[in-house]
Amino acid sequence: MSLWVDQYRPRSLDDLHYHQGLSARLRSLAASGDFPHMLFYGPSGAGKKTRIACTLKELFGPGVEKIKIDQRIFLTPSKRKLEVNLVQSNFHIEITPSETGNYDRIVIQELLKEIAQTQQVDLNAKQRFKVVIINEADSLSRDAQAALRRTMEKYMSNMRIILCANSTSRLIAPIRSRCLLMRVAAPDSDAMGTVLDYVARRVGFDLPPDVAGQIVEDAAGNMRKALLVLEALKMQSPDLSGNLSIAKPDWETYCHKVADLIVQEQTPARVMEVRAKFYELLSHCIPPTVILKTVAERVVERVDEALKADIMHWAAFYEVRMRVGSKKIFHLEAWVVKVMSLYKQFFYGMDLTGFD
Amino acid sequence: MSGKVIAKDIRNFFGPPGGQKAKQRSSQPHNDPIEISDDEKRSAPAPNRVELRANCLPSPPKPQRAHRTEEGGKTKARGLLKPSDEDDIQPRRASGIKRPKAILSSDDDDDEEVKPPPTKKKATARAPPKPTTATSKSSDDDEEAKPPPTKKKATARAPPKSMPTSKLSDDEDEEAKPPPTKKKAAPKPRKSTAKSKDTDDEKAAPVAKPFKPSTKREDADEPPKKKPNWYAMKAAKLAGPSAPGSKQVPEAASEDCLAGLCFVFTGELSSFSRDEAIEIAKRFGGRVVGQPSSKTDYIVLGDNAGPSKLAAIKKHGLKCLSEDEFLDLIATRKGPGNGKGYDEKTKKKMEKEQADIKKAAKEIEAREKEAQKSGSSSKFGSSSNAPNIEHQLWTTRYAPQTIKEICGNKGQVEKLQQWLTDWPASLKSGFKKPGKNGMNIFRAVLITGPPGIGKTTSAHLCAKLAGFTPIELNASDARSKKLVENGMNINNKSLDGYLANSVDGHSATNSAGVAITDRSCLIMDEVDGMSAGDRGGVGAMNALIKKTKIPIICIANDKGAQKLKPLQHTTFSLSFRKPDAAAVRSRILTIAYKEKMKVPANVVDQLVQGAQSDIRQVINMLSTWKRSSDTMDFDEGKSMVKMNEKYAILTPFDVTQKMLGPYLFSHTARETLGDKMELYFHDHSFTPLFIQENYLKTQPARVRSLQGPEQILKHLDLMDRAASSISDGDLVDALIHGPEQHWSLMPLHAVCSAVRPASFLYGQGAGYGGPNAMSFPQWLGQNSKQNKLNRQLTDVQVRMRLKVSGDKSEIRQSYLPALFPHIVRPLIDDGSAAVDEVIERMDEYYLSKEDWDTVVELGVDQNKDELVLKKIPAATKTAFTRKYNAAEHPIPFHKAFDLGKVPKKLAASGPAPDIEDAFDLDDEVAEASDDEKEDKSADDITKDKLVKVAKKKKSAPANGGGKGRGKKAAS
Repeated sequence: MSLWVDQYRPRSLDDLHYHQGLSARLRSLAASGDFPHMLFYGPSGAGKKTRIACTLKELFGPGVEKIKIDQRIFLTPSKRKLEVNLVQSNFHIEITPSETGNYDRIVIQELLKEIAQTQQVDLNAKQRFKVVIINEADSLSRDAQAALRRTMEKYMSNMRIILCANSTSRLIAPIRSRCLLMRVAAPDSDAMGTVLDYVARRVGFDLPPDVAGQIVEDAAGNMRKALLVLEALKMQSPDLSGNLSIAKPDWETYCHKVADLIVQEQTPARVMEVRAKFYELLSHCIPPTVILKTVAERVVERVDEALKADIMHWAAFYEVRMRVGSKKIFHLEAWVVKVMSLYKQFFYGMDLTGFD
Repeated sequence: MSGKVIAKDIRNFFGPPGGQKAKQRSSQPHNDPIEISDDEKRSAPAPNRVELRANCLPSPPKPQRAHRTEEGGKTKARGLLKPSDEDDIQPRRASGIKRPKAILSSDDDDDEEVKPPPTKKKATARAPPKPTTATSKSSDDDEEAKPPPTKKKATARAPPKSMPTSKLSDDEDEEAKPPPTKKKAAPKPRKSTAKSKDTDDEKAAPVAKPFKPSTKREDADEPPKKKPNWYAMKAAKLAGPSAPGSKQVPEAASEDCLAGLCFVFTGELSSFSRDEAIEIAKRFGGRVVGQPSSKTDYIVLGDNAGPSKLAAIKKHGLKCLSEDEFLDLIATRKGPGNGKGYDEKTKKKMEKEQADIKKAAKEIEAREKEAQKSGSSSKFGSSSNAPNIEHQLWTTRYAPQTIKEICGNKGQVEKLQQWLTDWPASLKSGFKKPGKNGMNIFRAVLITGPPGIGKTTSAHLCAKLAGFTPIELNASDARSKKLVENGMNINNKSLDGYLANSVDGHSATNSAGVAITDRSCLIMDEVDGMSAGDRGGVGAMNALIKKTKIPIICIANDKGAQKLKPLQHTTFSLSFRKPDAAAVRSRILTIAYKEKMKVPANVVDQLVQGAQSDIRQVINMLSTWKRSSDTMDFDEGKSMVKMNEKYAILTPFDVTQKMLGPYLFSHTARETLGDKMELYFHDHSFTPLFIQENYLKTQPARVRSLQGPEQILKHLDLMDRAASSISDGDLVDALIHGPEQHWSLMPLHAVCSAVRPASFLYGQGAGYGGPNAMSFPQWLGQNSKQNKLNRQLTDVQVRMRLKVSGDKSEIRQSYLPALFPHIVRPLIDDGSAAVDEVIERMDEYYLSKEDWDTVVELGVDQNKDELVLKKIPAATKTAFTRKYNAAEHPIPFHKAFDLGKVPKKLAASGPAPDIEDAFDLDDEVAEASDDEKEDKSADDITKDKLVKVAKKKKSAPANGGGKGRGKKAAS
């Protein structure tokens, strides 16, 4: 028995609950026979992948739902072996080049060419082209993006590319201009409420509106999270009554602990303690930007109004650095020290920044 | 603390003479500029003069200061420049406040104050050396001693008042030299003052100073009169009251003015770095030791002296000098015993030393002569055959010929000799009797120690003297296992003795006068150099040692080397230490005397120390020097050492300790930015990590002078700057290691990632040991852990992909916490009963048992793997594993290496039966006609292939089975 979020995932464009306009456009695009390259972007849990899957089904019929996973090995020029997982059906192929880190260019070049140079074999296929879905497109390296440019034009007859990203800001302009941009915004609370209700009905229970409201608020636009929380709550208290507390995921509570540590004490020893906790989070695959965001939001909650803007400013400052730099912990720590310094200065009502 | 106590005692003792001395000094021209500054402080009796100074000061001295700043490396320009604009206003205000206070203090400051203006000028003259050290020291003390409640107010109000005093004080020294008002200042101002002060008696000098800080302290301590200005004090501290390089080493009264004195330096001096000060002391013949003891003559006390040293000073009642007194001492003391020469005992000792040297030199000479004679008189001995002794390298020429000539390690050498002497007896007894050193149960000795301290020489000498003929094998000989086993004809008798006997007709002696015998001794030099080509050499060596009938001496540099492990149990370990400077000194002096070179003892000491007691190197250096000159003075020696400096790569730990330690960035440090960056390049990949790991562990020197909230704030501010600099460094690193590879940015990276952070937070603390000991960077371990878990997470994501649309981070952030109650929690809550349910859920998402482990491992906080696994009973775990392994599970895909290219290993063993089967099927058809022929042809074609042979044998009996299998395969 799958989790509800997977079990009740919409399978076709008609089943989608929100962004009806988007669904209609996708449907007409699929019908037109002149399907462009596309770039789906939006926050996680908004329904990008679901929409992509639905569009594919609209294009090719139920055949795309028969997927299998394949693993391919690529050789780098330095003879290093790269394993890449491919998810594919007869009509499409889905890759996550960022799995290979800096070598994503090789994957893009070799794999795309290979796919693009062969025509659709299945004569019964509805379309003459195949679709390549590139996940996490915003973490493609610049080289890989450059490698994508020409391929996208050259092999238009055999292949369409669907990029899936959280934000377009990291994609180079030439790529963006070659794609039809599809923004999948996070659902608003009404839409989320509808979906939650729908799932509850499918499962076979009534969802009290206040609980739904609580979940929607907690999920902050992440539909996946909302559904997972719903299921967890249902498991916790089957009748969804009484005082429900939404359990936070482990990493989030851990981040909050870190934030508390920062606010409680501002000493070198404490910085080192925080550093250890950061290491723990990072090594357990929590992305540094998520850590910074969660901790910063929590810290901001707990400090004086006057400090909030500064703290967020520095969080943004160091997040940018984190993206550019290579050792994330350095920037996280720099932010922590900065916050501690600001906090203490505020506490004593002194500003020492100009003083030496 | 103890410093204070002493200071007080001394003050009592010193009280009266202050005024007199002041008078005496009145005639010194040097005092003038300082007197001006003092005028400002105390009163303004001659306003025009102040004006004068104010007018002319700003313009001329400025360039000079700038110049000195460059010299000194780092001077806080701000601190120096400020007073000039405030001069004309401040002095008067300050004067009004100061006067009553000065009267209050009951010691000789009063005398000075009371005196009429003309003498007062001179009285103050005594002050110049004081302020630099005094301000810094005393303010430090009282800040720590009493955190005044009014401090904040004081900071707010007081700034203009005390700022100039503290600041001016740094200037004084500098101004002293380029006096803008009075041009007739003596060329050597420092020396003359110093002399005048200390001529009367030598004791006065050391005593004079300690009292001064105390008066100063009193000044600062009187809250109603003068509120301490914290900002100013801090500024003074940060600017360094001490302009580095501001003081000159005075011209010494005599070359060896400090001879016979023993110094200990502690704390930070204001103008000289520790190394420089030590060098100065040594230059003038002083001895410098690390820890104070009762034999120490003087302690040169700087700021922030170590508490243990202060305790020792108190305990032994040692004399303390400030930096200036130390300089005065140099300027005034006239050689040993202050001009009276050495006392009887020392004199005798020195004479004896000299005599010894002469005697030793004579011995060498005599020996050389004899060698030359015998060389030319012997039958084969033409001078062309035996190299002329004059042309030999000094290291061979002056190699020790007798045991007593060996420098240092006497005990070890004696042991070695004893062992060799006892060898025949211990061989006879079968190595059962330990002997008095416990050495006689060993058949071999392992000598270890740094290079150039005479290990090989000692081994050879001992062997010769004990009547063995040494056979040496060193790294230039191949010493592989085979060669060691076979090639070493160690049981053969040496031909030496035979030849010598037959030729001369009487028993020959070697050059040391020891009879040559037919006994040999194997010296395996450079055992740790047995490497690459010498495979198995050490093992064979060890086997040889176990059964040898001749003594074996192994020599190596590093005792702990992994390679020498096998030898540890079979050999007696003798570790040679670096000989102490004194032992080497006499030997070197002997050689120098013999070569008619004039090299003073302290220069020799310097050479020895610079070469790290490597005697060979010192001799080589001298022999090189001899080519150009017969004398060597201190500076020449220094440059010689510098030239021959051994370049050692520091470990990252050492680099970190040096960088974050209290001295590298202190105001007296002489290291340039380049030198500091050089530290980073000792290990450019590790240093930044070490700095990042440890930069928070110090107690920064920069905040030492602060207190309470200010200290906390300043500390955090420094931390902030260091951390942001490290963050900058990472950006630079990304550019270096990114696709563009800007390696030219390495120096920038050095500054951002190491030098700059350290410059903010340097201080005591992050050393070896202690509560805040340096640690190895966690980053490396954490990073590889992150990579590993990331890979595992990728596996999990791929497996779940058939059901789940999320990417990796979504899986981690949303799914894992959601799955946790389904696949882990039941095992905790329900135990084995829940296993089925859990497995079902896992199958749903194609998760394997390994993936389950990953899910657990990825948990943090309350889901941390350790906590979770502890909560699951062992029985449940085993039940879970067993059940999981028992059943079949859906597999989303096969790993690439499971399919695709067949790995080599499988080709060799695994698929073989299949091929055979196929072959058998074919055989069945062909074999019917002629078995033998088929076999033969197969044999012919593949005569040399073992596989075929095996197959042939097998094929007949396998036929029946083969059929069955073939059918199975077909169906």
